[in-house]
Amino acid sequence: MITVNLEPDGEQIEMSNTRSVVAVLNKLKLRSTMAIVVRDGELLTADRMLKNGDTLMVRKVTSAG
Amino acid sequence: MKCIRCKKTACVALPSHHSGFCKDCFPLFFTKQVETAIRREKMFTHDERILVALSGGKDSLALMLELKLQGYDVTGLHIDLGIPNSSEKARKKVEGFCELHDLNLRVFEMEKWGLPIPDVKQHVKRPVCAVCGKMKRHHFNRIAREEGFDVLATGHNLDDEVARLFANTLRWDTAYLSDQGPTLPASDGFVRKVKPLFRLSEFETANYAFLKGIEIHSDPCPYASGASFTHHKELWGELEYRSPGQKFQFYQSFLKKGKPAFANLEKEIGDELKPCEECGSPTSAETCSVCRIKAAVKVSKAKAEAE
Repeated sequence: MITVNLEPDGEQIEMSNTRSVVAVLNKLKLRSTMAIVVRDGELLTADRMLKNGDTLMVRKVTSAG
Repeated sequence: MKCIRCKKTACVALPSHHSGFCKDCFPLFFTKQVETAIRREKMFTHDERILVALSGGKDSLALMLELKLQGYDVTGLHIDLGIPNSSEKARKKVEGFCELHDLNLRVFEMEKWGLPIPDVKQHVKRPVCAVCGKMKRHHFNRIAREEGFDVLATGHNLDDEVARLFANTLRWDTAYLSDQGPTLPASDGFVRKVKPLFRLSEFETANYAFLKGIEIHSDPCPYASGASFTHHKELWGELEYRSPGQKFQFYQSFLKKGKPAFANLEKEIGDELKPCEECGSPTSAETCSVCRIKAAVKVSKAKAEAE
């Protein structure tokens, strides 16, 4: 299970059977340059693999105003 | 993916540049893009005083920090819009950021000036985002001129510029298409305006802000829901995914081939500007739109209070 904290929405989403950053982004319907993805303070590129229990921060980059 | 410079594991992948960078090399790439923008577009020199518009978002704070690190003489200007549960948070982020990095900051309060944005929303029938933007541009320019700054810098990035160009093109707005660009030279009543982040995408500034530990104000403006620019950015995000580099090509080609044609057209049909009778800012009417809006809100408020 992967836990995703989505910003700036403030939502928390649990994802099962998700093994890479690009899979997380696909589930969120985001392209790789539409959000930054952080695990334990480290930025991750879309090709990085994930492991069960990982917690990610996904911050969308498009400013709303 | 490996860093294109040092071969360590990359933390930022940039399809439009066919490259990736690690946490140490990405800021060097960012700095180089800003240096290139300043040099090629003749934005400013190390001898000039630069006023940087600070909203509290990632772009303006990243710009301010980067210009300081490059040794420029920068002062921040934050406009407190007076929007409940929003403006105070943005202001706090800006003040905390400037204190942390030992940066000069000036704050202008719309409420003290007599026109907080909630009053605009309540009393002006036009879209609040358009009026708010107009107010901010007016005060950025006025304060820069009154306080002797050589140039006003904003954190507009490539996505902002492409979204704006796209919107202007959809309307074939010749006035806006004639002067959109990374450097707008000073003219009667207007300070020089520059956008040193125009070569960098929102994704790139977001990565830079994160790597530099910049705490940003990321809450969307409570009045900005459904702004058309956001939809345009989504469309362009998809285009860029399919053809990396398309945004930059669209914008650069406009600057080279489109803008000169619109500038010539605007010389023939554009309005002549003169100082506003109330505040002295340049306008094509006797009184500028900002002074007209302020007066209209005053009348509308007095009428509402009398009822």
